[in-house]
Amino acid sequence: MSGMSLHKKLEEHSGLLIFGILAVSAVGGLVQILPILFQESLETPVGATAPYSAVALTGRDIYIREGCSVCHTQQIRPLIAEVERYGPYSRSGEFVYDRPFLWGSKRTGPDLHRIGGKYSDIWHREHLLNPRSVVPDSIMPGYPWLAETPAADVGDIQKKMRVLQSLGHPYSDASIEEAESELEGLTEMDALIVYLQQLGTAMPQGELP
Amino acid sequence: MADLPGDFWSGWIIVLTLVSFCVIAWLIWSVYFSPTPHPEEEHENEPVWDNNLREGNAPAPMWWFWFVLGATVFSVGYLMLYPGLGSFSGTLNWSQDARVRNSHSNYENQFAAARAEIVDAALTDLQSDPGMMATAERIFQRECSACHGKSATGQISLFPNLLDSEWQWGGSPEQIEQTLRGGRQANMLAWQGTIEPAAIEQVAEYVLQMHEGSDNSHPGQTTYTTYCVACHGADGSGNIMLGAPALNDNIWLYGNELNDVLESITNGRQGMMPAFDQRLDDAQIRLLVAWLTRSQN
Repeated sequence: MSGMSLHKKLEEHSGLLIFGILAVSAVGGLVQILPILFQESLETPVGATAPYSAVALTGRDIYIREGCSVCHTQQIRPLIAEVERYGPYSRSGEFVYDRPFLWGSKRTGPDLHRIGGKYSDIWHREHLLNPRSVVPDSIMPGYPWLAETPAADVGDIQKKMRVLQSLGHPYSDASIEEAESELEGLTEMDALIVYLQQLGTAMPQGELP
Repeated sequence: MADLPGDFWSGWIIVLTLVSFCVIAWLIWSVYFSPTPHPEEEHENEPVWDNNLREGNAPAPMWWFWFVLGATVFSVGYLMLYPGLGSFSGTLNWSQDARVRNSHSNYENQFAAARAEIVDAALTDLQSDPGMMATAERIFQRECSACHGKSATGQISLFPNLLDSEWQWGGSPEQIEQTLRGGRQANMLAWQGTIEPAAIEQVAEYVLQMHEGSDNSHPGQTTYTTYCVACHGADGSGNIMLGAPALNDNIWLYGNELNDVLESITNGRQGMMPAFDQRLDDAQIRLLVAWLTRSQN
């Protein structure tokens, strides 16, 4: 079969042409994307990665709501400069309970993936109220209203946990039952700090790049 | 460790990739090397431009040929050298993880000798070396200044001044090193409910004047003796084992106004220093200790 006759056949039969276009444009996805969907190592938690507690999950939603990921990434790339500055590079298995992940794409502020445990809770509180009170050169805006709003106002915590449970996150029914009482008495700022303090703590710091 | 696909998906990727190469090879062949690339006979309904320009009777330009050929050769070479063709890890055995491990250990190794020297050096030697002190200050600015301030004089009545004479957890080099490595968690209890508000006010006034010399007639002393001596000592000299600050000097971390002291007694304080043993190496900690104690000699 010469090239020209196949060409002619494709042009004259639009069904065949559509099929041909789809087949050719699907190859990249079939080779690069499809196998990844079935790659177990990408769905296996590494280190001490665990599902978010009710409080941390609420803090995460506040992090999303306030747009923290617009200025802060949560991905330390496997490059020497990043590893030296921030700690061990981010592993895919650390994000298995992130729906969606908050890797971000722009660093106006520093990367936050290994921020957990770096500062005290008190520092985070002051810094969120007014960043310039502790870091004079900071250009980050303050978030004082977080200290005035109850964490429970974020809402729907049990519903969220149930949805995540149905997606395979290992929440026990008891932990979902207790979720609302865990948020009791906490402000949004408390929840956000709990979330920040556990960021990136699943991997041991130190020797590992 | 390279993270490569399993058996089935490895085969899937290899077969699809090789088939794609075959299709590209066929395409190149059929366009440029086919025995009948440009059929002369006319077809029904085939559009003709400029008298003789018909589809297929002029080959694609040669730059296109060289471009596709070059890209194909590059791809084959890439897949031979680097991971990409299923679970075949490439003849260079390259992986992203190994690369960062290598560059990390190379980077670390170039400082190994200097680090060993710093860890073994006497503090006074480090303190008299301006280069070492400049390095120590840079480490301080990077790791410590967010809380203790760029000048190390503390910030916003929450984070202690490191240049004054009071060290809540002890100011000897060994004690400072322990504070840096393990962090510290202070725990001033909230006395609200235990002590009457009026008595809290009295004891607050009492401790505020302690640095002027003990006043045995002060009404707050009874309460102080009952509740506060266990940690802060009868003379208010504090206890570095518990992180209980001295009250008989005029240094007040949380403020020297009556209201500040009232707040501390009523609601307690939980000052917390994070641990840095995993964020800093031995030499960095040694340098910080030398820098922080440089005015003690």
